[in-house]
Amino acid sequence: MSILSLHNVSKSFGKTEIIRGVNLDIQAGERHAIIGPNGAGKSTLFHLISGKYQPSSGRITFRDQEIQNHPPYEIARLGLARSFQVTNIFPRLSVFENVRCGMLWKQGLGYSFRHLLGRQTELNARAMHLLEEISLSDRADFPAGELAYAQQRALELGVAIASGADLIMLDEPVAGMSLSEAEAAVSLIRKITEGKTLVMVEHDMNIVFDVADRISVLVYGEIIASDSPQAIRANPKVQEAYLGEAILTDAGGDDA
Amino acid sequence: MGKFAPWVGYLIALLGLPQLFDSVLAITIFNQMAIAIVFALSYNMLLGQGGMLSFGHAVYFGLGGFMAVHALIMIEFETVYFSITLIPLVGGLIGLIAAIFVGSFSTHKAGTVFAMISLGIGELVAASSLIFVSFFGGEAGVSADRTFGPPFFGIEFFQDVEIYYLSAGWVFASTVFMYLFTQTPAGRMANAVRENPERAEFIGYSARRVRFISFCSSGFFAGVAGGLFALNYEFITEENLNAVTSGRVLLMAYIGGLGYFIGPIIGAVVLTLMNSLLSNYTELWMLYLGIMFVLTVLFLPRGFAGFIMMHQTAWLRGRLSSLVLPYLITGIPAIMFGGSILAAIEMLHHGGESFRFLFVTLDSGNALHWFALTSVGAASHFACRRSLGQLTSAWEEANQSEDTTERGPS
Repeated sequence: MSILSLHNVSKSFGKTEIIRGVNLDIQAGERHAIIGPNGAGKSTLFHLISGKYQPSSGRITFRDQEIQNHPPYEIARLGLARSFQVTNIFPRLSVFENVRCGMLWKQGLGYSFRHLLGRQTELNARAMHLLEEISLSDRADFPAGELAYAQQRALELGVAIASGADLIMLDEPVAGMSLSEAEAAVSLIRKITEGKTLVMVEHDMNIVFDVADRISVLVYGEIIASDSPQAIRANPKVQEAYLGEAILTDAGGDDA
Repeated sequence: MGKFAPWVGYLIALLGLPQLFDSVLAITIFNQMAIAIVFALSYNMLLGQGGMLSFGHAVYFGLGGFMAVHALIMIEFETVYFSITLIPLVGGLIGLIAAIFVGSFSTHKAGTVFAMISLGIGELVAASSLIFVSFFGGEAGVSADRTFGPPFFGIEFFQDVEIYYLSAGWVFASTVFMYLFTQTPAGRMANAVRENPERAEFIGYSARRVRFISFCSSGFFAGVAGGLFALNYEFITEENLNAVTSGRVLLMAYIGGLGYFIGPIIGAVVLTLMNSLLSNYTELWMLYLGIMFVLTVLFLPRGFAGFIMMHQTAWLRGRLSSLVLPYLITGIPAIMFGGSILAAIEMLHHGGESFRFLFVTLDSGNALHWFALTSVGAASHFACRRSLGQLTSAWEEANQSEDTTERGPS
């Protein structure tokens, strides 16, 4: 059963068409990677799904509900969480507050000004537990902005998964990390997305082929292939457009 | 129990102050402080906690105050019948209603957009207050008499000290509620939206709605402060909702320290004292207030509260006392330098006539006075610069972690 579907989604900025009629089906429970050269529109696609941008045309459905014209907070409430390519946390709040904020809505606390956070024993215990999972429990009271880079990336993940969303979208989760940091991050991603659906954009092909059940290749705003890792590796169109050179040259870098 | 200690201390201070200082002037000042504390705390809900810079917060204070005076008039003419102890609530509700109306369109964005809208609304309401004379009373304002209400347990509020204790109760309750607000989901998300509105949206919160809630709560407590003003002065004018009042509350919150809950309380106390005491000694106190604000922004960006909190590490390590002497060594010349600058400003201001400055009589026509002043200024400036090094090293030593002190210089 597909949990997320894109039907003919396009997005233009002025005259420039960044996303050109993308069709994509993400099955519940799968780990799906989106790859493609720089400027292919991977981050734009993420922004369209999560509600930061609205598509120029096409439909996006999440659990059979159309979400393309909904604001990000409504999409998030439906159970779609995302992380960002550039660390996007609450820098002057403590590490603990960061993940707890991520949990508030799902906890049903909403905009309440009648509940005291200090009294939410179960919520606070869960936030501490999540910090242990992402190995930041000894930094709980630190201002998030003072963490080391890899720790901030881990917190970025923590904030994204805090709500317990079913669909988690990660935008280059290991970009800029050292090899050992990236390894730790990948095993963390495996652990925290257990039993959930994962969609990720990643440049590091080793990680992509290691983690993903299925891979979609985005080139100039179009999906040219969507298949199992083995089939993608063998696909001549993909090799021509992307893999042959990208693997050999640069695995990091930026995306439009 | 330690959690409640600051609150018990706060309550004792509020109730005990008039016992220590019971002159008419002191009670007047305490009443002003009470009003200022609630107003400044409400302002910090916007700027410090919610990241919304408002140049028009006096609107909610003033509208609440005007309605409170009208409510007092209605009580006097027996149009309505309730105790005047509830007047601040009337002010609060009007502040809330005004904030709901304005917030519905102004909280869409923070930053410059919000600041400009707040400035515009402030000017608009201040201008309207001179146009709609029947409600605002024109330049004379409106006045009432608080003593016509039904007595509250036999108290008829003839005296300022009675109003003070009533205000103290409202101040305490307002402070508690505003503090509790910071501990709720709405209050915490206000911090999160201040830090990063985009991310807040991706964890399920509409940044606009979060700002709106803070804005309305802030408007309510500003209105409560306006109600306290009405009770204390029994009149209110356009001046109380214009840009000057908006600017003053910004100064209070900023000088006290935006990042700390207690900051605006400190700011309100310091500025009220300056306003009432300094204005007795010099006509230039507004200038000094401006200088103090600039110095605070430059050197104490976290305000007085931030300055106090800077000493937490040294205090926890039990080394605060080692800082007393270095502070004195640098502080005394610093104060003398500041004093000579002030004396020079006063001499220019008094042009030609002699006046008392602290313990001396100064005369700007006397060249010897200028010479003496310049010498003291230069000498103290030199001493201050020279002694800065010892203060810096004492500071570093006091803040050093335990393990490195062993090999420190002896």
